[in-house]
Amino acid sequence: MRFKKSISIIAMLISLTTYAQEKLIALTIDSELKDNANAVVRLRETQIEFSSYNKMITKGKRVVTVLNASGRRNVGAHLSYDNEINIKKLGAIIYDALGNEIKKFKKNDFTDESAISSFSLYEDSRVKYLDYTPVSYPYTVEFYYETITNNTAYIPQWMPLQNYYVSTEKSIFKLIYDESVGINKKMNNLGNHDIEEINTPGQLLYIGSNIKAIKPEAYSPRFKDLVPYLQVTLNKFSYEGYTSETNDWKTMGKWMYDELLADRTQLSIKTQDEIKRLINGIQDPIEKAKIVYNYVQENTRYISIQEGIGGIQPILASKVDEVKYGDCKGLTNYTKALLDVVGVESYYTRVYASENNTVDVDKDFVSFVGQTNHVILNIPNEKEDLWLECTSQTSPFNYSANFTDDRDVFVITPEGGKIVHTKEYKTEDNLQSTKAKVSVDVSGNIFSEIKIDSEGTQYGNHNMIENASEKDKKLYYKNYLSDINNLEIVSLSHSNDKEKIVFSETIKIKGNKYASKAGIRLLFAPNMFNKTTNVPPRYTSRKLPFKIERGFTDIDEYEITLPETLEVEALMKPVSIDNQFGSYSASIEKNSENKLVYKRKLILNKGDYKKEDYKAFRDFYLKIVKHDKSKIALKTIQ
Amino acid sequence: MRLLIIVALLAIQGLNAQNFKFGKVSKKELVDNTYEKDTTANAVVLYKSHNIKFMYNDDDGFTQRNEIHERIKIYNKEGFNWATRKVRLYDRSASKREKLIGLNGYTYTLENGKVVKTKLKKESIFEEKNNQYLATKSFTMPNISEGCIIEFQYKVDSPYPQIDDVILQYNIPIEKLEVSIKTPEYFNYKKQMNLKAKFFPDIKESKTQAKVTSLNKERSGSGLQLRTSENSYSNWSYDVNVMEIEEQNIPALKTEPFVNNLNNYRSKLILEYAYFKGPNQGVKSYADTWESVAETIIKSNGFGGQLEKENYFEKEVDALISGIEDPIEKVNVIYNFVQNRMTWNGNIGFESRNGVKKAYKDRKGNVGDINLMLTAILKYVGLNANPVLTSTRANGIPVTPTISGFNYVITAVNIDNKLLLLDATNTITAPGTLPLRTVNWQGRMIMPNGTSNWIDLSPKVFSRENVLLDAEITKELSVTGQVRKRLTNYSAYNFRNKNVALQEDDLIRNMEEDKGEIEISDLEVKNLKTLNKPVSYSYNYTLENEVEEIGDKLYISPLLFLATKETIFKQNERDYPIDFIYPIVTKQLVNLKIPEGYAVESLPENIKLQFNGNEGDFSLLVKETKGTIQIIINNNLKATYIIPENYTQFKAFTDAIVEKENEKIVLKKL
Repeated sequence: MRFKKSISIIAMLISLTTYAQEKLIALTIDSELKDNANAVVRLRETQIEFSSYNKMITKGKRVVTVLNASGRRNVGAHLSYDNEINIKKLGAIIYDALGNEIKKFKKNDFTDESAISSFSLYEDSRVKYLDYTPVSYPYTVEFYYETITNNTAYIPQWMPLQNYYVSTEKSIFKLIYDESVGINKKMNNLGNHDIEEINTPGQLLYIGSNIKAIKPEAYSPRFKDLVPYLQVTLNKFSYEGYTSETNDWKTMGKWMYDELLADRTQLSIKTQDEIKRLINGIQDPIEKAKIVYNYVQENTRYISIQEGIGGIQPILASKVDEVKYGDCKGLTNYTKALLDVVGVESYYTRVYASENNTVDVDKDFVSFVGQTNHVILNIPNEKEDLWLECTSQTSPFNYSANFTDDRDVFVITPEGGKIVHTKEYKTEDNLQSTKAKVSVDVSGNIFSEIKIDSEGTQYGNHNMIENASEKDKKLYYKNYLSDINNLEIVSLSHSNDKEKIVFSETIKIKGNKYASKAGIRLLFAPNMFNKTTNVPPRYTSRKLPFKIERGFTDIDEYEITLPETLEVEALMKPVSIDNQFGSYSASIEKNSENKLVYKRKLILNKGDYKKEDYKAFRDFYLKIVKHDKSKIALKTIQ
Repeated sequence: MRLLIIVALLAIQGLNAQNFKFGKVSKKELVDNTYEKDTTANAVVLYKSHNIKFMYNDDDGFTQRNEIHERIKIYNKEGFNWATRKVRLYDRSASKREKLIGLNGYTYTLENGKVVKTKLKKESIFEEKNNQYLATKSFTMPNISEGCIIEFQYKVDSPYPQIDDVILQYNIPIEKLEVSIKTPEYFNYKKQMNLKAKFFPDIKESKTQAKVTSLNKERSGSGLQLRTSENSYSNWSYDVNVMEIEEQNIPALKTEPFVNNLNNYRSKLILEYAYFKGPNQGVKSYADTWESVAETIIKSNGFGGQLEKENYFEKEVDALISGIEDPIEKVNVIYNFVQNRMTWNGNIGFESRNGVKKAYKDRKGNVGDINLMLTAILKYVGLNANPVLTSTRANGIPVTPTISGFNYVITAVNIDNKLLLLDATNTITAPGTLPLRTVNWQGRMIMPNGTSNWIDLSPKVFSRENVLLDAEITKELSVTGQVRKRLTNYSAYNFRNKNVALQEDDLIRNMEEDKGEIEISDLEVKNLKTLNKPVSYSYNYTLENEVEEIGDKLYISPLLFLATKETIFKQNERDYPIDFIYPIVTKQLVNLKIPEGYAVESLPENIKLQFNGNEGDFSLLVKETKGTIQIIINNNLKATYIIPENYTQFKAFTDAIVEKENEKIVLKKL
């Protein structure tokens, strides 16, 4: 961190008021801040004041100059609220490029809408936003607000750079707190940005200046991992009337358990008897858990309802048992309740679920429910813990790939909380194996039976076709094998082994004129069913590091039978590439007079890479694409 | 004997007839576990009834009531989302609010051979105020499992005479549907089916009478309010128009590729509120004939009224056109002026929202504000300009005279008996090219005297794409060269739409996408913002691994990286048409220089392909002169609307083009 400590706070604050006036003139923006920017945050002031542990007053001001139409979404003149957040002040003023006032908006001029997420049936969250159509660019929006809430569990984070394509001229964060309560804070990804930290007893003050806009690039980590942000929590906070004093994960978990989870797992005698009957005679806890998981999948469904404390506390297990639906909290708690009945230990677990990125709960910084968005169930196990996704009616037992895998999560036990890492799906386990027998005729048509087995993360990419209609399945395979024009799907079938977690597909196809004729020759690429065609985009100067979130392995083996009237004229040479990103090998061999065997193996490793390595990564892909489309030539025997 | 037969008949009927009375779910319905007529169905509506009627009382006048009753069988987990229902309600104020009442529901399951009923309770019912105008009542049924049946009923009371579209088809099959619509003689509706749908019901129409005991006999007023003025009880009656639909086995509406809005194909009954005729009163028309539609609109303050105002723009417009005589130039200047002055706020609607005067001052407005203003200015400068009502592609097609069928307005200006269509809400089209959202079959041009006629909106002018590709194969078998492209009309529109906001490096990255191992440099784009000229651009490139070397031969696709690599249409047949909207001509000229030490072994054969007579044609001509191969490809697609019946032929045509474009040039080593 680099801090400038010379400036006194008072001088700082005095200068801010006059400073603010200049911010209204778009023409004075430094040209460096306009690079790659659609909007410039001229001034962002957030002041958070805790008059006690259960009262938070937030005063905010944003002055944003929008440079073009794409920048409109970055005005950020909106305020989320719910029953617990009282809006004291809300307004906005629009200025033209020269800083002349065009229009004023008062609280009632803002549009008020419910803010229910797409996955929810009901939530109590709402939003007030500014609906303003600009008539020319640049223009500037000054937006201010003040809110009071008794919920102090979530304290807004300070993020001086708010998004891609937005730069920040000045961002100030001030937090006033009672020293006897105390706070915890953590600064992340500081980098070498111009950020000053001026902290005094009872007050935090951070000032970020002249932070340039960044542009998204393919394969880059998520935005939040690239930019500085400050997290703050109170050592004693209040949430929906509950009070907690915690500064480690253990006590945070203990509090959660005692206040929000305990005594919510009672079930009716009828249900208890039913589940006991189902596991009758079974001793192994994992086998019991499988039966319980299956019972939950067969009897419930996922419906999200987020209201008040229900946003964080599960509904009673007995209620889920009655209505047979619940959200992630309710269904997880219900599954736990059933497991309790049959004597299998399990723990309610908060996780940040996301498909594209594996996001950890920060084990070094204790925050309210660990900044998570989902709940799963942990079953401790000597060899390897099990993780149950209780919102899915179809997922195999203990399958967490592509959603909650390979990340630190917050496990809540009656003794307290702890951070545990979920199952990592390893490169070699994420296997897609394609085996095919192919025959080629003299006209270049191919006939083949293809078998695809998918495991690990790749299971999740293939099994969604299982329940599609026949018509959609055919269309799916035509797109999957899009490289073969004039494809006919002769037959198809699947089997889904949820026990071993393998999805197997068998497809019989006919590819008319897959091999192209050139005079007396037939040409075709022996990699018929798994060609890599997309190359990562080219950057003349890559700015951001890149990341491969999950590794995988593809194995292909095709036995190709040729017609007797054709002979091989040219085969490609075997290739083998090995580097830090993975490996690739491909070969084709003559097995007998009219039989060829094509073998290919592609491994991509998970990893974090420096921007300097991007070109090598792209080159690796270019080579794969090149070899995947390599053709062989057959000619008529004269 | 006779009695026996009757008993027998009753018994048979008793066996076959399902009982659709609320709550009478049978064990048989629960046991059934597939729907034979469509085995892909995840759920089936066993029964739906929808009754619309109007109730009268002296205080409120008429109230519209919709009664809904549905019974749905859920076969599998994929069908579980049918157990959740959301009902949208207008909610503007206490007196202008639709109310959902009498919600009642049960889930039926089979447990140990017994039918078990679970009631829908309050905790599963939610009310959300979406925004200023809308609220949503939602509910989710309890105790859902595979094979269960849900049943619910509710009523929606509305203070409005307007009837929402009556939905006759779901994304799952409907086994039995009963609809009845009973409207008092005073409210008159135009009925219209969605013509794009594949399913049409039979509608039976009849008349009946309703009797009312009222405080007085002098009734007046309009809308739903029939006011009272005397204090004497009286009985009166009115005619009721009845429409009834009774249908069975309505197929599910299923989507397919290249259908951008499946709802456009949903079977529904559209009831346009046409006119009000109170007792002892004249007709207050809302829509009826095209004349009355046009008249209503032209007389309304939000539309016709806006065309007459002139004083707000006079000064600026006078200065703008002084000295300009040529009408085309006048159009260009004024169109440009309005396009630049006004910012579209994203709202559609053919009426001016806040009035053209205010919109002009604020420099922004909805579609009505901007295009009515444009029309007024064009008229003011002496041109024959008129507004044209249209319906956006998302809105469907109005066929019979309706007002609500339209949701957009554009401007038509007549120059030498040719109509030029204008829409100044967008910033990327030149006069004559409408943004695609409003190019939807035909529009209704409204004349000042209240007459109106249809205007064909489908573009007749070809959108052209001319490509010049120079390529040279180097000794190392790289390809280098230059590409020059020129795009007109919608080809230019699409390019502008995609690229106008991009920085150069992003533009290059976009162009490199899907072109293999290419590096593009020296990109030059012309007329990206000069709308009345074609967009043209050029770039240099180097391309690796495009030339395939097998043995001592080289294989190259004639169009290199510009070839379409994959067939576009993968289905063997279609249920819905494909709409290309505008006709396209592509001309591609390739000059490929052969590397030293190589000669041509074989070239793709010249070819000419046709689709449906001359609705589409494709030709490829190859010749070699002095070490250069020249390829000329012409592709015209006049047909813009491919009906399902012609799909197979069309697919064969496009497949053949892709095949031809991927045929190889073979060079041999000397």
